[in-house]
Amino acid sequence: MAAAIRAERLTKFYGDARGILELNLEVGDGEVFGFLGPNGAGKTTTIRLLLDLIRPSSGRAEVLGLDTRRDSVAIRRRTGYLPGDLRLYERLTGRELLEYFGHLRGLDGLGDAPTLADRLDVEIDRPVQDLSRGNRQKIGLLQAFMHRPDLLILDEPTSGLDPLIQQAFHGLVRETSADGRTVFLSSHNLAEVQHVADRVGLVKEGKLVLVETVETLRARALTRVEATFDAMPPAGAFAGVPGVDELERRGNRVILSLQGSADPLVKALSEFTVLALDSHEADLEDVFLGLYRESGPRAD
Amino acid sequence: MLTSVFAKTVRDLRRGLLWWSLGLAGLVTMLVAVYPTVRDNPDLTKLVEQYPEALKSFLSFGGGVDYTSGAGYLGSELFSFMIPLLFLVAAIGAGSRAIAGEEEKGTLDLLLANPVSRRRVVLEKLGALVLELLALGFVLWIGLVIGGHAATMKVSAAHLGAGAAAAVLLGLAFGTIALLVGAASGKRGLAAGLTAALAVAAYVVNSLAPLVSGLRPLQELSPVYHYVVSDPLRRGLELEHCAVLAGIALVAAVLAVAAFDRRDISS
Repeated sequence: MAAAIRAERLTKFYGDARGILELNLEVGDGEVFGFLGPNGAGKTTTIRLLLDLIRPSSGRAEVLGLDTRRDSVAIRRRTGYLPGDLRLYERLTGRELLEYFGHLRGLDGLGDAPTLADRLDVEIDRPVQDLSRGNRQKIGLLQAFMHRPDLLILDEPTSGLDPLIQQAFHGLVRETSADGRTVFLSSHNLAEVQHVADRVGLVKEGKLVLVETVETLRARALTRVEATFDAMPPAGAFAGVPGVDELERRGNRVILSLQGSADPLVKALSEFTVLALDSHEADLEDVFLGLYRESGPRAD
Repeated sequence: MLTSVFAKTVRDLRRGLLWWSLGLAGLVTMLVAVYPTVRDNPDLTKLVEQYPEALKSFLSFGGGVDYTSGAGYLGSELFSFMIPLLFLVAAIGAGSRAIAGEEEKGTLDLLLANPVSRRRVVLEKLGALVLELLALGFVLWIGLVIGGHAATMKVSAAHLGAGAAAAVLLGLAFGTIALLVGAASGKRGLAAGLTAALAVAAYVVNSLAPLVSGLRPLQELSPVYHYVVSDPLRRGLELEHCAVLAGIALVAAVLAVAAFDRRDISS
C-alpha cells in the first residue's frame, strides 16, 4: 500500500509541552485515519508540519510521496485542509471565499462546493461575519472538499457541528475513502471518529503512543451485561462460561462482562429466573485507554 | 473577481483607498483655493521670510521657501509635510497589514494551505501596495493639475507629476519596510510602529541636517532627503534619487520574501 502520509522521526520542539516528538507514522492511500489525543497533545502541530505552515526541528515527512518542505506547493494542490482554529475572511460571503480558493487551486468554478453546501445545509451567499460557528465550520469543510483533493487533512472537523450534520459529514468521509482518497482527521474524542476511521493513533504529550485498527479495538471491546434475578445465583455460577467475567454483585443483580459470542452466557442465564436483562457495548474509549495503559508511554 | 492573492488584496484596499482619495482631493482643493489670497498678500510673504531657519527647513520641499510662486506654495503647504504624511500612513498601514495583519487575524493558515508559495503571497501583496500608491499618486496628480490650472499656479503637469511620483516612491520605500517587518515578525503593531518611528526619524534628520552639523553626514541616509532633494516641482525628478527610494523598496522586498519563507506561521 502506498503511503499518503509518512513521517520519520518528525519533531517540532517548542520547549514546552506543545510540540511533537519523534513521530513515526504511516497512513495508507485511501485510508481514514483518526488522530486522537487530548488538546495540546501535538495533533495540530503535526498537521501544520505536514502543510509546511511550520518547519520541523528534526525529522522529515512525506505527503502523497512528496517532501513536505521541498514540494509543499505541489502537496497543497492535492490536499484539502480544515484548520482546527478556523478563521475565515469575515467580509467575504461563503461563495466569494470559495471562488477565491477555487481560483488559487486552478478550478474553473466552485467545484463540488455547491453540491456539498446542499448536503451540509449551509447558506453560502451570506457574509461570513453573519454566520454561526457551525455554519462557518461548514464553509471550512466546503473549501477543504471542493477540489476533490487526494488527501484531506481535517483538524477537529466536527467541532461546532450539530449531530445531524455530523452524520452527513461521516457520509462524506466514507464516500471520499470509497473513492480511493485519504482522510486524516484529528479529534480529542474516539467515540467521534470510531464510526468513520479505519485506524486510530493516540498522541499524548507530543508522543504517538498507540496505533490500532478500529476493528481490533472493537474485537477487544467488552459488552457489559446486567442481569436482575428473582433469586441470586450461587457464587461462581458463571465462572466457567467462556468469554464471561463476573464483575460485581449488587442486591439481586449481577454485572458481567462479555467478550465474543453471547450464546454461552444466554444458556447459562437460562438456568435461573431472570427478571431483567440489560446490556450495552463498552465505550471504545475505555478499551483504547486500557490498551494505552498496557503499552504505557514509550520511553525515549 | 477574486482570482488571485493580488486581486483579493486590492479588493480589501478598495474602501480605504476611496477615503484616502477623497481626503487627498479635499486637501488639494482647499489649499489650491487659498493660493490666490496668499500669492497676493505681500505681508504673508514677508512673514514667512522672517521664519526661523529651522522652521523654513521643515517647510521646504527642495529649493527655498517661497509662498508667491505656485511651486513654492505647493512645496511648503503640501509636499513638505501633509503629502508625505498621508502617503506614509497609507503605505505603512497597507504594508503592515499585508502579511502580519492576515496572520494576526488567523486567515493566513487557510490561505497558505492553498497551492501558492509564500514568495508569491509576499509579491502579490506587494503588488497591491504598489497599485494603491499609484492610485493615490494619480489622484494627487489629477487634483493638482486641475486645481493648479484653475488657480494659475504655473507649475507644469510634468512637474506636478514628478512631485506625485516622488511621494509614491517615498511611500513605497516605507510601505515595503513595514511589509518586511510584518513578514519577518508576524506582528502588525510592531511593523507599523517600527516603520512609523523610522519615517519620523528620517524626516527629522533630513529637516535638521542643514542646521545641525552633527546630523549632516546622516542626511543622505534619510529616504526623505531623496524625496525632497531633486526639487521635483521646479526641476522634475533625478534618476539617482528615485533609484535610492526604489532600491530601498527592492531590498526590503527581497528580505521580506526570504524572512517569510524561513519562519513558522503562528497559529
